[in-house]
Amino acid sequence: MDMVLLPGIAAIFLTGFVAPLAARRLGDRLGVFLALVPLTVFAAFSTLIPVVVAGGTYQVVLPWVPALGISLSFFVDGLSLLFLLVISGVGTFIVWYAAGYLQGDRGLGKFYLYLFSFMGAMLGLVASDNLILLFVFWELTSITSYLLIGYYHEKERSRAAALQALLVTGGGGLAMLAGFILLGRIAGTYEISTLLELDPSGFIGHALFPVALVLILLGAFTKSAQFPFHFWLPNAMEAPAPVSAFLHSATMVKAGIFLLARLHPVLADHALWLSIVAPVGAFTMCAGVILGLGKRDLKQILAYSTLSVLGTLTLLLGLGTPLAIKACMIYFLAHALYKAALFMTAGSIDRETGTRDVDQLGGLRFKMPFTAGAALIAAWSMAGIPLLLGFVSKEYFYKALLDADGPPYLWEILGVGASMVMFALAVLAGLRPYFGKLVKTPKPPHEVPWTMWIGPVMLGVLAIYFGMVPGWPGDFLIGPAVQAIQANPAPLSRLALWHGWNAALFLSIVTVLGGLIVTALSRKVRSAEGFYGVLTRVGPERAYERGLAGFLRFSARLTRLIQNGYLRNYILVIGIFTALLLLSRMPDTPFRMDFSRMVPPTVLGVGACALIVAASVIVCRAQTRFAAIVSLGVVGLGLAILFFLFSAPDLAMTQILVEALTIVLFVLAFYKLPLMTHRSSLVTRWRDAILAIGFGGIMATMAMIAFHFEVSQPPISTFMGENSYPAAHGRNVVNVILVDFRALDTLGEVTVLAIAALGIYAMLKFRRSKKDPPQP
Amino acid sequence: MRSLILDTTSRLLMGLLLMFSFFLLLRGHNLPGGGFAGGLVAASAFALQALSSGPSAARERLFVDPTMLIGIGLLIVLVAGLFGPAFGLPFLTGLWGDTSLPLIGDPGTPLLFDAGVYVVVMGISLLIIFNLAEEEGV
Repeated sequence: MDMVLLPGIAAIFLTGFVAPLAARRLGDRLGVFLALVPLTVFAAFSTLIPVVVAGGTYQVVLPWVPALGISLSFFVDGLSLLFLLVISGVGTFIVWYAAGYLQGDRGLGKFYLYLFSFMGAMLGLVASDNLILLFVFWELTSITSYLLIGYYHEKERSRAAALQALLVTGGGGLAMLAGFILLGRIAGTYEISTLLELDPSGFIGHALFPVALVLILLGAFTKSAQFPFHFWLPNAMEAPAPVSAFLHSATMVKAGIFLLARLHPVLADHALWLSIVAPVGAFTMCAGVILGLGKRDLKQILAYSTLSVLGTLTLLLGLGTPLAIKACMIYFLAHALYKAALFMTAGSIDRETGTRDVDQLGGLRFKMPFTAGAALIAAWSMAGIPLLLGFVSKEYFYKALLDADGPPYLWEILGVGASMVMFALAVLAGLRPYFGKLVKTPKPPHEVPWTMWIGPVMLGVLAIYFGMVPGWPGDFLIGPAVQAIQANPAPLSRLALWHGWNAALFLSIVTVLGGLIVTALSRKVRSAEGFYGVLTRVGPERAYERGLAGFLRFSARLTRLIQNGYLRNYILVIGIFTALLLLSRMPDTPFRMDFSRMVPPTVLGVGACALIVAASVIVCRAQTRFAAIVSLGVVGLGLAILFFLFSAPDLAMTQILVEALTIVLFVLAFYKLPLMTHRSSLVTRWRDAILAIGFGGIMATMAMIAFHFEVSQPPISTFMGENSYPAAHGRNVVNVILVDFRALDTLGEVTVLAIAALGIYAMLKFRRSKKDPPQP
Repeated sequence: MRSLILDTTSRLLMGLLLMFSFFLLLRGHNLPGGGFAGGLVAASAFALQALSSGPSAARERLFVDPTMLIGIGLLIVLVAGLFGPAFGLPFLTGLWGDTSLPLIGDPGTPLLFDAGVYVVVMGISLLIIFNLAEEEGV
């Protein structure tokens, strides 16, 4: 019995839904209490550490759609657990932080609903054992992040950024779904744990495997903001600081990295993997820091450095050596710790001083001591200076690059270059606002409340602790995660702070020296606006904007063409299309007329038919609307008589009732319709006549053909008839079909009807409100 | 313009029509009738009111807003479907009690489902009819 995983995830979701209710009662203290939930969940997840350290996995399976091989199956191995712990752990501090940051905000309850839903989706994502289930959580993170990024929904930019993030990541997610389905069909299973045990050489040669691979990579790259899909991430900085700190340090953008790591054993043996993933990662790594150097906004600097780190992680997974994977996992952990802290401190500065411009900040260390201390530690880790986890991760990064195949020195040069600029960005984001002379800011700065500095400080303490004794997280967190990705890991040395005088340490020293030079030059670079202006103009974001605008224009045109508001045109289009569709299939169907089974004509039957025909002619020739309406009613009643004669009393009754109500509707609408002054031209009338007769003829032929068809033996009507009473306690087969045998269809139909009615209601109301606009 | 005769007869007819609609709903499982037809009859009872005494009077006699009726009906349909899962059976599985009643036959979740259809259909028809009737001339 699972007491940890599903209850934990469920508790997170549930807390989200309770939050808006609790917000009224608890007010600003809400966050302090709510944070206890992810904290408890974190503690519960930690109990799984011994399981994965021993090399085991923790599985929970609930059936969902067994017929399609889709189940609610979850499994936790080292990789999942690392992510679970980071998400719930960092999440705890974010909840605390948000309590202070959004103090007094009226939407606080709603904010926590979004935040917890996002957290739950993220946890579900990393614990999914089924590809389809993973996709569901994946899209759930896209939707909830849309709500979070657009939290300041009164702001135009905020809405645009949220929509952009949703479209880019959601679109990528759909590509990924297609890739998952292909992969599942090729490999024969959607269960990730089964996939991981398969020998990839069994299906890697499949013709469609490269397609599946590229589609899945699209999903991962859009989510993890790899070039050319990177632009949504910096724009998403419109979000409140706690959102940025959570989404862009430990969670949302890491989902793509998680996916790459998760499916690494399945996909990485294909040649395309190395040739796509590593270069894309390397490019993003370099582009991120170069673009970041041109920014003055603290959050933008952090966003672009995040891009670079995501590129680094992608590059490492692309290289795929055991050492690279190990480096990737350490780097992931280090980045989650320092970047969450830096985003939070940046938010604190913004809140206290009223600006995020690095050139307008300085000397805050005495005004905001705790924040400054936390930022200093985080920046230290980000710069990769010894004693912190960031240093260890950078060492392993260099080791992996030195160890990797590929063009000589290429990876090393790119890696060291990017790290030098990263050093400068760390100084910019973590030191510049706090040191130097105190600069006058829009608001006089104070230290933030404890809820807002406790998180960054704790994360800093962890970064120091893990940095001093890296063997500890190495054994309990990193090792099992690497083992989960590398089925047969080459024996890896224990994580350690000191590796002796080697090439990696030499590169680290070069990085620090180079970083100092870049830092000195950074202000000059920032003012090179021409260079960055060109980059913005030619960047892929232009393509997104053009594409979106073009798509909207296209849909507007298409809508005007197809839905032009004339009912007669709709019927025309539907009629022609249906007729053509049926005609195209008719030649394949054997056609025979068999009159032997025909019921002998009765006076009443013939009379009803004659009535229908006569009434139809009158409708067509009617000079007034009223005559046409009445004659149409006669057609309906004639049909009802026919239904009665052929023993379908239910149909007949419903037909009569519908006719009656239609007349009522016509009477109500009657006086509002314009007079029938305009009559169709002769050409139109002939066209309509031909179409109507042709359509009727085709339907009649269809009915004749269908009469001779026996799709199943015995026919389905026999089954319904025989089972109606014994199985469904009803003698009226029509009704039993409606409310029992085919109840799901009815449920769908009434729902559609309800939606249609609401649409009509909205249309009528809209017309009315346009006529007399509300008085001010 | 209001006609006293139409007004009076429609008010008398309303009770009859409503009773008839219930009758249709209840017997639907064994004999012609059912929620859809019943809902239409019930709607026509109030439509008649709207015609004779105006839509606001008809709304007053209905007590509930038609939009609300749609929601309630859908909810009933959903609840009828959820009886199955509550007993560990698939969604929308029909369940019956042991008793048998005259006219209705064996009451069970399908009847509840049908009642939901009745309410939805009634709500939809009246939503459209009332709003059309309240619509002012072009």
